Order: sequence, then structure tokens, then C-alpha cells
Amino acid sequence: MEKFKESIKTCLQHEPAFCTAACPFGLDIRDFIPKLQRGAFNAAYRTYLNAVGFPGIVSQICHEPCKEVCPRRFKDQAIAVRHLEKSAIDYARNLNPNSYNIPPKNKKIAVIGAGISGLGCALRLASKKYDVTVFEKSDRIGGHLWDLLPPEVFLAEIERQFIYEEYTLLLNTEIKSLDQLDFDAVYIATGKGGADFGLKYDPNGAYASTRPGVFLGGELCGRNIIEAIADGLNVTKAIEWYIKTGGMNQPPEQRGTKIKLNPDFITPVEQVLPGEGEPFTQDHAVNEAKRCLLCACDACVRHCDLMRYYGKFPKRIGEEVEITVRPGTLDGDGTVATRLISTCNHCGLCKEVCPQDIDTGDLLLQSHRAMRQKGAMPWAFHDFWLRDMEFTNSDEAALCRLPEGYSKSEYVFFPGCQLGASDPRYVIESYRFLLGHHPDTALMLGCCGAPAEWAGEGPIHDDVIERLRKDWISLGKPIAVFACPTCYQMFGKYLREVQGVFLYNLISELGVSTAGKTYGETASVFDPCTSRHEPELHQAIRKLAEQSGFSLERLPYDGKYARCCSWGGQVSVANPPYAREVVKVRIAQSDNPYIAYCANCRDIFASAGKQCYHILDVIFGINGAGRKPPTLTGRRYNRIVLKRKLLEEYWKEKPEDMQMGSKIKLYISPELKRKLNDEMILETDIEKVVEHCETSGRKIVDADSNSFSGHLLIGNMTYWVEYHSKDDGYELLNAYSHRMKIEEE
Amino acid sequence: MKEKKKLICNRCRVELKAQKTYFEYLGHSFHADIPRCPECGEVYIPEDLAKGRIAEVEMQLEDK
Repeated sequence: MEKFKESIKTCLQHEPAFCTAACPFGLDIRDFIPKLQRGAFNAAYRTYLNAVGFPGIVSQICHEPCKEVCPRRFKDQAIAVRHLEKSAIDYARNLNPNSYNIPPKNKKIAVIGAGISGLGCALRLASKKYDVTVFEKSDRIGGHLWDLLPPEVFLAEIERQFIYEEYTLLLNTEIKSLDQLDFDAVYIATGKGGADFGLKYDPNGAYASTRPGVFLGGELCGRNIIEAIADGLNVTKAIEWYIKTGGMNQPPEQRGTKIKLNPDFITPVEQVLPGEGEPFTQDHAVNEAKRCLLCACDACVRHCDLMRYYGKFPKRIGEEVEITVRPGTLDGDGTVATRLISTCNHCGLCKEVCPQDIDTGDLLLQSHRAMRQKGAMPWAFHDFWLRDMEFTNSDEAALCRLPEGYSKSEYVFFPGCQLGASDPRYVIESYRFLLGHHPDTALMLGCCGAPAEWAGEGPIHDDVIERLRKDWISLGKPIAVFACPTCYQMFGKYLREVQGVFLYNLISELGVSTAGKTYGETASVFDPCTSRHEPELHQAIRKLAEQSGFSLERLPYDGKYARCCSWGGQVSVANPPYAREVVKVRIAQSDNPYIAYCANCRDIFASAGKQCYHILDVIFGINGAGRKPPTLTGRRYNRIVLKRKLLEEYWKEKPEDMQMGSKIKLYISPELKRKLNDEMILETDIEKVVEHCETSGRKIVDADSNSFSGHLLIGNMTYWVEYHSKDDGYELLNAYSHRMKIEEE
Repeated sequence: MKEKKKLICNRCRVELKAQKTYFEYLGHSFHADIPRCPECGEVYIPEDLAKGRIAEVEMQLEDK
């Protein structure tokens, strides 16, 4: 967490857009453009007016430094900001400035030069009700503008902007010496080659001269006409600072931006312009505004589901996590971000897209652990999956064996907990393949510890890792063959001594006759987030898919930008709407069927109705893309079946008859099974409750329907059943659960 | 309005009556009146209570 605190200081969230940084007026494009995008021309005009002072002049003569820095210039065309500015003027309802009712300030300011820079200064100060006098040696205002624009254009604009302001204009009045002026501050804007009264710039202050109270700016100082207008507007801050503090040290405004934009994410959009010399129509303006990328360093919020869902940048998340882990409230329970911490998929995309490598995911993982350690993380968020891990690593489903006749092995197959749970044949066929090439390949059925890692359960996680290490040593320290990229990642993090390879890379290298089926379909490979840094794996999967006759089309996010299917972090208990939203977005990326190589991605998408193969379906011809995944109960059953089948086939052991749950016979309708699955209630647990009710007699009788209700606390959860007798057993009528514990004694 | 079910404790053969019952979650304790056997204290929580008020309070405590 300390590491995050350091790195967040480098966050570029508040850096300006490239064009804003290049604009002499600092026009906030992220304020201006969205108004145009929604057709709010009047609002856009107000933003523009506030930035440039004289919109009718600036929009005519601006040299558009913004175009030189627009990132679109490399992809298609830079945004035509000046045309958009003109459109804001053309379609605004009211072009007049605001009238401010402010009491007059008892300070006199002299402006030398009635060019547009001097008038800009006069305009800003007059609107703040300073007593402003403008001295002009010629007989007209406007200075250099007379050479650039028709007088009716700029004179009308100057008149409009001064419509509510009063100032004294003294034409034909040349100032020979500053000593003849009795003013609180002076701005000298005498234009190119104009009088500077022998003053020099003072580098210690913005627009400061070496004489207190006297400021320099505009074309006199080598600026172009647009910069000169900006100087006139901006110098007023330095003048006010001087009037309030007596200091000439108002810091010069820092221009520039540190933001970086990844061109990978810029989609070209053709610019549609009106005919030569014609103005933009409203539609032109809105469409052009919509091309704007609104450049900001917001890659994290755009790409990370969690940040987008909560609408929070890493800095804000960091602050909320801090007060959650270390609450400042008197009773120490101000845990505002508990659910947010538990909603991270730990996919690593936030760090991948951050130009500063800020790792918000790691902060959330560490804080999850800290919350768990102090007992402040609700147990319910991870209870189901910790129990699932316990089951996977129990005698019912776990296995660690060398093949008959071998005392050590070169390889060990570690399929992970969910591959065999999805379909035991994935593991059986893969193991058969491996044994065909390396007959000494050992087998480890078990869980890699990811559920404990994600739950922040340090000691439980340590136990799992220790057991895995011992098992691996007992097999002769073989190379681990992984089918699941999460297992690969977890071993890489906690069992670094174990050399690992991916099953799919091996299959690709060793070659396989792909079940004789040629698919001839167009599909998209869905890379799991844990494969992010495994380019060889990405290639192997694509090669295997293409060998099977698929034409592949890329998804918008793949390879190193892979996004989580929603499984990561096992967040669906803590935040079900978020998990559902993530799945919805993932499957909507393409109408093509997906080819996944993580059993969880495959089954989650298939559950949501998406056609999705597992690459092992393709390689070994196991299932079609439309297979509905097993229920949570079915997944446990499959793991028992898997162990049993493997023991029978390779070790000639026939375990005792399989027994899951209790000995009672419970009939459950398919609809009810679906409901139990949706509510993460295992049928085996429900059987235990019915058995408990029957053996203890602790049940409630509904006198009207002659059915029974009862409950049982299993682990932390309380399960309820409604059932009645049927034939040789019972029929389940309903079941539900709650986290709250009933204090019965 | 659903007709009230007649609920009987299987062991004591008496009808359940609403009684003060204590609950605990995440270190917080509170009580509510729910149907209970007057003799042995066997409780009954219908699904609409479990998924309604109880789930709501669970969520509030998790976010507290």
C-alpha cells in the first residue's frame, strides 16, 4: 500500500489535453467539446468566450496550434477546433457577455496601448470593476488588427464585449515617461517595436518588468497576435496579485502536458467537412465534435470495468481504500470501500494501460488481505469458493500420483480445479495425450490456491501452497503442465521453483490430429486475463484453432489487453450486478462464437447464452459451442467422477461406490435445480438439511399442505428447505439461504 | 394478502407463535419477532423474509 501511495503521486489524471496545453488561452477542450457534442452551442460559446475574451476576433485569426498536437493528426485528421469555435458563435442564442454587478474597486490601472492585447487587459479588469484608463498614441483602437481583419468585424466585436463595461480611453495620448502616470499598476502593450520605457522582463514573475507595478506583454514582447490577446487577458492575474500582495512574483503559468495516449485505442473516423469556404452546419459541428477524443489520461477508467462501474480514478480509490482499511471514525468502522475492494477481478489491465504503471489492482489485493486480517471483510463474499477449494483439495477430488512403474517424472499435469469440473473429459483426454508422448507424466488434481489469494486468506493460502510444494517434490520436481492460465500465474507467483509450461503450447509443438473435424466457422479467440503476458500461448491457441479450420477475427480487447470474463477475484457474491454487467459486455464484443482456453471463461459465457468452445473441445472434438455448463453441484460431482475414472483407467483402482452428500433420496425438479444454482446453493447441502430435519425431528409442519420446513447452519450459512415425502424419499419444494445467524439458544 | 399458514412444531405438536428472536451478523446483534415454537423454540423464517428484510440488513452491514 505504501508503494501505491508513492506511485499515485505520478498519476496524470489532472493533466490537460494536448490542445489545451498548446492553446495560448488554455481553452479547456474537455469542457468545450462535450457541449458541442450534445448540440449545446450557447453553452459552448460561453466556455469559449470566457477563455478568449474576443471570440469574434480569435475565431477569425487563430493560427491553430491545437492542430499541431492533436493525436488524430496521425490517424485521420486533426479536429477542426477553429471551425467548431466559429460554429459555437454562429449557433449561439446570445453573443453578448455577462453583466456582473460588482462594487467598484478603488484601484486605478493604466494600460498603455489600445491594441487588442491592451484592450484584453482592460476588458478583464473593467469587468472586475477596476478603474481602467487606456492610453493610445494614435487616433484609433485595434492596433495590428487593422492589418488583419476588416474593421467592421473587429470593432463590432470590441464594442460588443465592452457593452457592459466602463473604462476611460484616451486617444492621441502618447506616454513618454511612466513617471507622468499616477496609477496602482500599469500594463504596457505598445505592440511590435513599441515603447518599452527601457524596462526588461523580470524572470521571477509572470509578465513582470523590473519596475514594481509595471507589466509587459503582447507583440511588444515578440508574441504573435493571438498570444498577445492571451497575454492581455492573463496579465490581469499578475496585476491583481501585485495589488493584493505588493509582489511581482505571480508564478508564470506552466504550459504543457504529461499525458500519453496509446494510439492502439484511436479508431479512425473520417472528417466530414462542408464545401470550400462554407460554414459548418450544426450537424457538421456536432459530428466533428464527436470525433474529438477529449484527450485525458483516463485509460484506467476507460478500460478497467471496476473504475468505470464506480466512476472513480485510482487516486480516489486509493483514498477510499485508505479510510476503509484505517478508518478515522471513533468506532473504527467507516468501511466505505469494502465492497469496492471485493469487486476487483485482479486482471491486471489497469496497470497494463497506465502509462505510469500505477497498480490499483495490487492495492486492492493487499487491502483485501489487510481487511481480512483484522476481520473486517464480510466472510460471505468468499465463503462459497473457499469451501469449493476445500472440496477440490479434499480426498474426494484431489490426487497426486506418478504413473504405475515410475518413481519420478519429467512432467506433471496440473489441470486445475475447474477444467474437470466443467467436463471430466477435458482432463482425461489431455492426460491421455500427454502420456502418449511422455509416459512418465504424473498427475496432480487440486486447486492452485487462487480462491484463498483473492479472499485475502493468508494462512489458508500458505497451507495450500505448502501442500502443492510437498506434492511436487514427491513427484521428483517435474515440469508442471498447466491447462489453466490462473494456475500458471499463481505458481509463477508463489511456487517460483516449479518450472511451468502450458498444455496448449505442448500440444501445438507435439502436434495433434484434431479429431478429424474441420469447423469452417469464423470465431474469435477470447484470451483470459491471466494470459496477458503470454504471447506464445496466444499464438499456440490461434494456431490450434486455425488448424481445426476456424477463420479467426480479433476481438477489440485481446492479447496483452485481455479483459476478465468476470470470474477473476470471484467477485460475483460481493457484487452480483457488476459481475453480470461484465459478462454482458464481454459477450457483446462480437457475434462470432468464442474460443476460450480457460474453463471459467467458457462456462460463464455459455451460461449467458454465448456460443463458446473450449480449445480442448476443438482439439479433441469433445463438445459443441452451445453446451450448457454443469451446475455448481454438477461441478463437484464431475470432480469426483474425474478422480474415479482416472484411478480406474491408470491405476486400476476401483474406489468404493461414489457417495455425494447424504444417504437420503431427494427429488429436485429441473427448475428448482436452476434456482439453487443461481443462488449458489449446493444440492448436497440441501440434502444435509433434509436429512438433519428427518433424523432430529426438528422441522415445522405446514398443517394445510402437510409439507415440512426446516433449517441447518452449514459453515456460516443457514439453509432452509421446504419438502414433503415422496415414494422412497422426499421431494424438495423450495430452498433458500441467509447469511445472518439465528441465535437459537 | 396471502392467507396465514398454520405452522406446527413437529416435535412439540404446538402451533408456532411470533416471538422475539435474536440474530447475529458480522459482529452485530439484533432481534425481530418471528414464528417460533413456544415450547422448544424451533424457528421458522419464510423465504420472503430471508430474501427481503434479512437480505437487506445483511447488505447494509456489509457496506457499513
